[in-house]
Formats: sequence, C-alpha cells, structure tokens
Amino acid sequence: MPPLFDYAAQAGSAIKAFAEASSDLLIQPTLRLGVTGLARSGKTVFTTALIHHLVEGHALPAFEPAHAGRLRRARLVPQPDDDVPRFPFEENFTALTEARRWPGSTDRISQFRLAIEYERAGGWRSGPATLMLDVVDYPGEWLLDLALVDQSYVAWSRATIAGTRRAGRAEIAAPWLAVMAELDPAAPLDEVVAERAANAFKAYLAALRAGAESVATTPPGRFLMPGDLAGSPMLTFAPLDRLEEVQAPGSLGALMERRFEAYKSKVVEPFFREHFQRVDRQIVLVDVLSAVDSGPAALAELEEALDAVLLAFRIGRNSLLSRFFAPRAERIMFAATKADHLHQSSHDRLDALLRLLVSRAMRRTEAAGARVGTVALASVRATRETTVHDGGEVLRAVSGTPEAGEHVGDEIFDGLSEAAVFPGELPADPQAVLDGAVPPGSFRFPRFRPPPVRSDALGRPGHLPQIRLDRAMQFLIGDRLT
Amino acid sequence: MTNPQRPRAFRIPSADQTPPEAATAEAPPPPRPEVRFVDEPYEIVDAADGVAVPVAPKRRAPWLSILFSALGGLVTIAVGLSIERLITDLFATAPWLGFVALALLGIAAVALTALVAREALGVWRERKIEALRERALAALSTRDHTAAQGVVQELRGFYTGRPALAAGIRRLDAVGDAILDVDDRLALAEGELLSPLDRQAKAAIAQAASQVSAVTALSPRAIVDVAFVVFSAARLLRRIAAIYGGRPGLLGFLRLARAALAHLTVTGGMAVGEGMLHQVLGLGLAARVSAKLGEGVLNGLMTARFGLAALAVCRPLPFVRVSPPTVNDVAGQLFRSSEDRA
Repeated sequence: MPPLFDYAAQAGSAIKAFAEASSDLLIQPTLRLGVTGLARSGKTVFTTALIHHLVEGHALPAFEPAHAGRLRRARLVPQPDDDVPRFPFEENFTALTEARRWPGSTDRISQFRLAIEYERAGGWRSGPATLMLDVVDYPGEWLLDLALVDQSYVAWSRATIAGTRRAGRAEIAAPWLAVMAELDPAAPLDEVVAERAANAFKAYLAALRAGAESVATTPPGRFLMPGDLAGSPMLTFAPLDRLEEVQAPGSLGALMERRFEAYKSKVVEPFFREHFQRVDRQIVLVDVLSAVDSGPAALAELEEALDAVLLAFRIGRNSLLSRFFAPRAERIMFAATKADHLHQSSHDRLDALLRLLVSRAMRRTEAAGARVGTVALASVRATRETTVHDGGEVLRAVSGTPEAGEHVGDEIFDGLSEAAVFPGELPADPQAVLDGAVPPGSFRFPRFRPPPVRSDALGRPGHLPQIRLDRAMQFLIGDRLT
Repeated sequence: MTNPQRPRAFRIPSADQTPPEAATAEAPPPPRPEVRFVDEPYEIVDAADGVAVPVAPKRRAPWLSILFSALGGLVTIAVGLSIERLITDLFATAPWLGFVALALLGIAAVALTALVAREALGVWRERKIEALRERALAALSTRDHTAAQGVVQELRGFYTGRPALAAGIRRLDAVGDAILDVDDRLALAEGELLSPLDRQAKAAIAQAASQVSAVTALSPRAIVDVAFVVFSAARLLRRIAAIYGGRPGLLGFLRLARAALAHLTVTGGMAVGEGMLHQVLGLGLAARVSAKLGEGVLNGLMTARFGLAALAVCRPLPFVRVSPPTVNDVAGQLFRSSEDRA
C-alpha cells in the first residue's frame, strides 16, 4: 500500500479515536470490550452470558459492583454504528434455554451496546452514573486474517504451500496441489483458470478445518465465512507455486497478486481498523481443552495462531497522548473456556496449561505495560460435579447431558440421557502435555448440551449458571464501575 | 503419572423411566450395580474459589480533616505572628538580641524541617506497606498476574538492603518472570522474604508477653502494671514495625496503633472461639494458685494479642500460604511457665 494512503488511513482513525476519547471523557463514558477468539472458542456464548447476567442483575459474588449492590440496572440500547447488524441476543438466549442447544457458528459481524447504570463508589462524586459497554461479535475465522496485513502475496503463497507439508496434511492437500501444479504464474490471465484455482483452494481450506486435529483455521478467513462477500472477485484468488519476486503485467500471477492486495486493503484492514484497533479492554477466549483433546500438534498450532493474532493488536498502557490519538488495550484477560468439562479440582491445572500456552503473548503484553490476567471459566456451566465410586475406585467426574453423537470410549450418547464423564486427569506439570509425554487417549472431552434452565411461573427467564465469568467481568470492567 | 486413569463415562439412570420413542432399536444397557454416584454441592466451584471480592466502604467527603487542617493553619499563623512580634521587639530593645533570636529561629526551622521529613518518611513507609498488602489481596482475588508481579518486585526492593534476606532474594530472582500462578508467586515471596521476619516478630511478641506477665506478677502496685503494659505494648509495636521494614515516627506510630487496636477489636471475637478454652483453663489453674500470678498471665495474654494484631498490621503481605500465628504460638509458654511456677 502506498504510504500516502497509509498515513491518510492512520490520520482518519486518529481523528475518530480523538472524537471517541473526548466523548468518553466529557459526555458519555464508554468502554469498548474486545471479545477475541478463534472459531469455536465460545465468543457468542460468552457475550450472550455477559448480557444475560448484567441485564437480569444476577448475584455475581466476584464482580464487585454487583456484589456490593451498586448496579442499578443494565439494558440493551441502540448501538452506535448503524451499518452493523445487532447482536441477536434474544435468539441466542432462547436457543440456549429452550432448545438447549448452543448458538450456531457466527457467520457475520454484529454489535451491541449495553447501558449499565450504577451507583458511584469512590471519589468525591457520588450518585448514579451510566457506563456504555460496546461489544462486537464476529466469526472467529476472520481473526487470522490479521496476520495477512503485513504479508506480501509472494510470502503468503510460500507460507501456505509450506503449510501443506505439515504432518497429516498431505492427503487433504493433494487435490489442490494437483490443480496448482498445472498453473503457471507467468501465463496470460484467464478468469476461468483463476476461479478453478480459487475453488480448489477453498475446498482445501474447508477440508483442513473439518479435519480432526485442526483448532485454528488457515487464512484467508472469508473463504470459509464469506459474510456478504460471497462470489466477489476479491475472494477469487489462490496461492501459486513457482512465483517470481515481481509478476509480469497481465499474467495470472499479477491478477492473483492484485486480488490479494485488494482483499487486504478492502476487507481485512477496514475490519481491523473499525473493530480492533480501538478497544479498551480485551478478552481472549481459548478453547484449550479441544486442543488438548487433539494432541500436541494442535496445541502448537493454537499457540502460533494466538501469537499471530495478538501481534496485530495495539496493547499497552495509555499515556495522555495515546488515549486521544491511538488508544491501546490496557487490560487483557486470557480465558480458558469450557472449564465445566473438568472437575473443579483440575481447574488450576487448566489455568496453568493456559498460561504456558500463552506465555509468549503474555510476556510481550506485560512488557508493553498492559495488565494481564488469566482465568479458567465457563460462560455457561453445562455440568455439575459428581464423584463416581466404581468398585474401589473414586473418580472425580462431571455430569451433564452429552450431545448426540459424542462418544467416550465405546459409549455413544444420544443427546437425551445424562452421564457422568471422567475426562482424564490433566498432569500437574503442564509442560508434559506439550511435550507429548501424556499417552494419546488420556483425555476425552465430549461436548455437553446447555443445562436445563426453566423460566419460572411468572415467565421470567431462568438463570444460566456460570463459572468465574464474574471474575473475568471484575477484571475487565469492574474498575470502570467505581 | 505412570498409569493415568483412562477417560470413562457412566450413564446416569434418569428419574423418569419412560424410554424416548426414537430409541427403539436397543435400550441403553443398565449401569453396573457396583457404580455409585455422589453429586457434589452445586456451589462447590464458587466455594473453592474462596471469598468474594471484599467490599470497600464508600468514601465520604473528609470534612473533619478539612476542619482540623483549617484550625491548624490558624494556629500556625498565630504562632508565626507572635514570633515575628517577639523578634521585632527584641530588635527594638537591642539589635544583638534580635540577631540571636533570628539565629535560634533558623536552627528551630532546620530542626523542624528534619523532624517533619522524618515523620513524613515514616508515614509514607507505613502507607506503602499498607498499599502493598491491599494490592496483594486484590491480585489474589482477581488473579491478576501483572499486579502480583509488581507486588513481589516492590517487596523485593523493600528488603534489598538486608543481608539476612540476601539469600532469599537471590532465590527469588532465580525464578524471575517465569509464568507462575498468582498465589504461588506471592507464597514464594512470603516464604523467602517474610518467614524469617515472621519468626523474629513472633519471638519479640513472646518475649514481651513473658516480660509483662513477670513484671505484673512481681510488681507491688497496680499503677506500675498498667504503666508497664502500656509501655511494653508501645515498644513491641515499634519493634515489630522495624522488623517488617517500617520506621514509624510519632504520627506513623499513632496510625499503626490505631490500626492495631481496630484489628484487635475485629479479631477479638474470633480469637475467643479458637484458643480461649486453653487460655481460661490455664488461667484458672494459675489464678487458683495466686491472684497476682493469674493477673500476670492475663496481662501477658493481652500483650500477646496486641502483638499479633500489630504483626497483622505491619506485615506487607497478607498470610497467603503460611497460617497466621495464634496466641498459642506466641504465648503458649506463659501457661507452661505458670504451671511450672505453680
């Protein structure tokens, strides 16, 4: 991208940031919470549960404003950006409580604003105040696109092709590699050929995501979740082999390169600028357990993906100047989701494993001056703790309703009956999991259906149980509600 | 870890035994009779996480301190004015007297500055210790790693000059910025830096308690007892503060004493529950032998109590893994010695 445009874009976002910061200070305090996570890490459920607890005003012991009784009420109000769909909270909540199924995977961006009315706690001023909480939900597949911003087409092609050589991918990649082998980047451009290459590439990405071991997706994310861009020429490109450093004009390679650049500048960068660069607080949801379930290779992939994502964020302590012109996220919480799949006595180990996984990102974040916290949480708690006495053995298990088709050993569930599941014991030393010192098959974390929650006789919605969601809320927004 | 337990699942027989229509092909096998399920309380997760965030009282506008500041300002002006008058008068009487008075004033000013600086430094150190403890508590309750790291760093800086703790500091540095759990990190600092100091403080309390009980038992007049109890409590407080790194001046000392007394009234009820039986039994034995001896033991106990409160107030960290010392730890020897004496 020519530097002139870059500066223009930066100046634009600085002006926007300035307007927002002044309104935050002078007119209406506003907090932008970034909910970040790869696909299937539980962003939508986290967001739904967050709204549910705040709006219903539940007792949240570790969330100080709620515990001290200072929260007057919270309600959903019209969001600031009119061009973004509203977060379908009611739909998701009904799905969770009535149909007892998890909300489907998010396929487009959505936003909501929550007005939290509270009683001030400290300082000279007292009395009621309002804080606006803005949260954005988006498909996790799009997140890894952030790593593309700094890559050129040639570098990206090489990296993606190198990625096919990883263990276990050869078979999946074979059809696409066969198509690509026939293409010559220097050949004159032909729309039909380009489309064939792009389709083969898309099929490869989809197969990769469906694979058993995959926890992160390979960019570009819009190939899997196109949103409203389906069929656009910006999504019709693919990596090519045998690329020169500079593409001849009018060649297939040049066409692909142009589209790749267009994808970056028209799709990735606006998304990034609009929704990521201006968050004040950030929670990174990590589905550690699924990765543990799939083995050390998946864990390594997860670590790499998280690191790439966090590099793209602006993180650190705000100075007076940066608050106005280039705000940074000053608090980051890493959360291992789905902690309810483990007995609570193992939650500490899950937390330790998470810390090991994100240690690289954590160090960098701390060095930048941001505050870092970790937690093992369950936004919606689907199980309860059970001790199983099997003959002489005592197993600390969790019980709930596993989803239909899930299996543990040779037991296959129908999605109706309850079961107590002992998922295996996480080792005390988290390094053992990464080193592969744990024999395969030691863990099995089946997915559970959401807990049965009934509305009472007055028709008031039930209470979705949670684990440590209140702690996360205290870390992320508690200090702004004083 | 050599033989990990395999993951397993057990079907829980549902309460209503009506089979769903779909599952006609095969009924689920009934669970083996020897498997038993015990549901744990649903709140166990919250319970295991410990107490919720402490609720801070709402701060009020500090009118009282404003009143005192204003009055203090008035008094200062009055004093300044009278001194100024005095010096002008002296100059009018004899110029050399005026110069002597001016010199005296200068010396007084220097001394006052030094005093104020020392007091301010003392209060500042006390505040720093208090803030450190509060930050540690906050970090523990919100699992904030950065805050925990900051607390440990500051604590380390606080004790850098002490040769006795040099080895502990070295061991602490060896851990460096490794990714540790919040409680683990604080517990490590507690073990390396504070446990030697805890031992010293406990010894100081025990010594003061036995001194008080001995003096009370031997003293001829009640007024002497009271004076000695108050004196040794003050000395103990100062000593404990010095052990944990505070150097309280007069103001800092008053602050600390107030905090310790407040702590005593809060924890008094708890202490009655925990070790009172022992204490009353011991006291009964001693009191039966001699009223004076019983009084001595009681005064010793009170001193020990106060010492523990002072310890809790002066310690820069809350008790993380180390269990807080009890009256028995520091004053147990009183009963033994009183029984021996009996």
